[in-house]
Amino acid sequence: MNRSSRRAFLGVILGAAAVAAAVPAAAHGPDPVFGGVLYAQNQELRFRWKANQAPPAAMQAAILQGATDANATRNSRAATFRHDPAGTSWINYGLDVACGVNGLACFSRLGAPNSFTMSFRENGHRYDWGVLRWCEMTGRPDGCFDARNSALDEFGHVEILAHHVNFADQSDYRDAVVQTIQRVKPRDGYDAHVFGRCDVASLQRKYDMLNWAAKYSTCLDLATTLTISAPAWVYLGASVPLSATLKIVDLDAYERLGGNPVSSRTITVQRRLPGAAAWVSVGTMVAAAGAGTYTFTAPSQTTTYEWRAVFTKPAGDGLRGDSSPIVTVTVLSCRQTSCPQSVQPAGQ
Amino acid sequence: MEKRWLLRLGPPLVAVGALGLVASVSAGAGDRPWDPPDCRPDGGSGTPAGAAAALSRPGGPEGLVGEAWFRLDPVLDGGGTLAGQRLELGLHGGGSRHVELPPESFAAGPFGGLVLVGSDDGNVSTIRAIDASAACARLIARESSVVRRAVIDPAGTTFYEFRVDRATRADLGVWRRPLAGGAAARVLAPLPADGLFGRTFSTELSWSLEGDRLVVQQCGYTSCRTRLVDPGTGHVNTIARPELGELVGVADGRVVAYAACHGLPCPILSVEASTGRTALVAEAAGLAQLVSTDAGPRIVHENGPDTDRHLRSTDLGGGSAVTVPAPAGDLRLVPASSRASAGTQLPAGWVLLAPDGRRAGGSSRPVLVRLADGLTVSLGEVNR
Repeated sequence: MNRSSRRAFLGVILGAAAVAAAVPAAAHGPDPVFGGVLYAQNQELRFRWKANQAPPAAMQAAILQGATDANATRNSRAATFRHDPAGTSWINYGLDVACGVNGLACFSRLGAPNSFTMSFRENGHRYDWGVLRWCEMTGRPDGCFDARNSALDEFGHVEILAHHVNFADQSDYRDAVVQTIQRVKPRDGYDAHVFGRCDVASLQRKYDMLNWAAKYSTCLDLATTLTISAPAWVYLGASVPLSATLKIVDLDAYERLGGNPVSSRTITVQRRLPGAAAWVSVGTMVAAAGAGTYTFTAPSQTTTYEWRAVFTKPAGDGLRGDSSPIVTVTVLSCRQTSCPQSVQPAGQ
Repeated sequence: MEKRWLLRLGPPLVAVGALGLVASVSAGAGDRPWDPPDCRPDGGSGTPAGAAAALSRPGGPEGLVGEAWFRLDPVLDGGGTLAGQRLELGLHGGGSRHVELPPESFAAGPFGGLVLVGSDDGNVSTIRAIDASAACARLIARESSVVRRAVIDPAGTTFYEFRVDRATRADLGVWRRPLAGGAAARVLAPLPADGLFGRTFSTELSWSLEGDRLVVQQCGYTSCRTRLVDPGTGHVNTIARPELGELVGVADGRVVAYAACHGLPCPILSVEASTGRTALVAEAAGLAQLVSTDAGPRIVHENGPDTDRHLRSTDLGGGSAVTVPAPAGDLRLVPASSRASAGTQLPAGWVLLAPDGRRAGGSSRPVLVRLADGLTVSLGEVNR
């Protein structure tokens, strides 16, 4: 790393902290991420219990549930986790927990892109503040920590996620499981077992979408670009075939999401008389063969119109709306008794 | 990748035995627990003078013979809950013993030949200095508050302890008392609560590499606050920045710490305590250690993924980086004792590598690596 890039990296570290400390209201967004190597898309990471340091049964169950939670709620092509006694990754408990001096659990992704390690403190561990109680091992008294939630947090770290930066009032705590401070029972979110939307946002940016129809995390706000194609003219009475393509704008900041085709969304077709102000919706496009493409056929045209496709920002989807450029389809009158039912190809 | 490692190995591994470290059979870490007897008033190094070598270092691997080491591990009951702690301690080239401790306990050092051991029975905290060489212990203090951590000063005359309230676990600050006996006095006030750091998980006491500052680091879930105390004047310099995590070490007025990561790899930052000026030492480091060398303090850290892990050494500002030849395999750099839950004194300019980054007992195979040229010495030989 040269001097200027070192300075830039340092700025990122210090800047993230400054944001957290000084202007938390501006900080909410996708989880920050660690530097380092990513795992392959949809890579299955198999883990074993470290010899002689296996978690007790209740903790094993919680960790396995956490792995299942991670797999089920990643909503991306992030790595998946599976217990396998022959796995190259390992998880341990109690002994040789290399977490440093603090923390309930910790991870190492030094083995990426091949493996990881994860460690959990033992139930009863003494901290300055008191005694660690895992809910799964203690009958869930108030003040206990949910190990399944901890495991999901750690699996998120293994993927690449760093701690979410919350608003000062913590009102967005439920937007992420990967949190600096794990809440104790019975505080809201102490037993969250699905990745939060801002966890998923970063997983999507780093690992991409499971498929083009999947919804984007609402912690994202991705610009889209909608294009339309139509014939320049048709004969009187002919149909107008319209085709549209919806994509994510291809920006570096969007990482793997930039340029993605976007399928299974609602694209509305609108038209107006040339020069008119108001648009009128005439129908909804249907999915075509290609990813992110949609078609619509306007039958029996007798009037020249301006046409456009409109993608309205959907609820529950981290996409911005967009409108396509306007195309004018001229309807030609003809001298024959009946006009040929032919269409001028688009772009001619 | 493996071939590259082989090429890096450089100077051949030198058995410690060849350097004159004739080992004896372990005294049996697996034997019955040891209850160290009281040191005689005129014997053992449980005296102040005996701890005076707290910052002295062995001259080389051969000088390690007779130096103390320890390792602290949790002991779990059948259900996986902490039932106590097992302290294994011994001498390089000699045997080892183990002491059973309650769940609320700690070990620190070694300070000269002493390992400081704190244990709490639920009513009283007891601090003892175990002389591994004389095989005895000296009572340092009994305290009704919970003593969480303690250190001896480099001069071997003063004992510093961090306390929390027994009922509320509230921070009671750092106290000191003469090692020869006498009343305790508070030298550092409790750390004020701060939501950016959360409740305090750990407080660690250590000394700057030069031995001129008591270093008190207190960590929340991830972020840590560090106070440097001048024991002579009482002046306190506080570094409280949420981007800073666990301490690597303090030297030349610089606080070297991980970023607030909660895992590895993690950046290492170096903060000039007087100005706050910050430098990036490593972008993605594994385990790390601050090392005294003839050329000044160096930060040694693991660099690269497991498949290509190597040691990198830099100055305190992250400059003049060099790659240190080191053995491959599963050996890891042994970090500070607070992170490793294990401790030993090392010769200046050397680092210790061990399985899982911890100084282990008789069955382990740790090696010493000289930073200057990568000379590798098998420390495990001393336990044969």
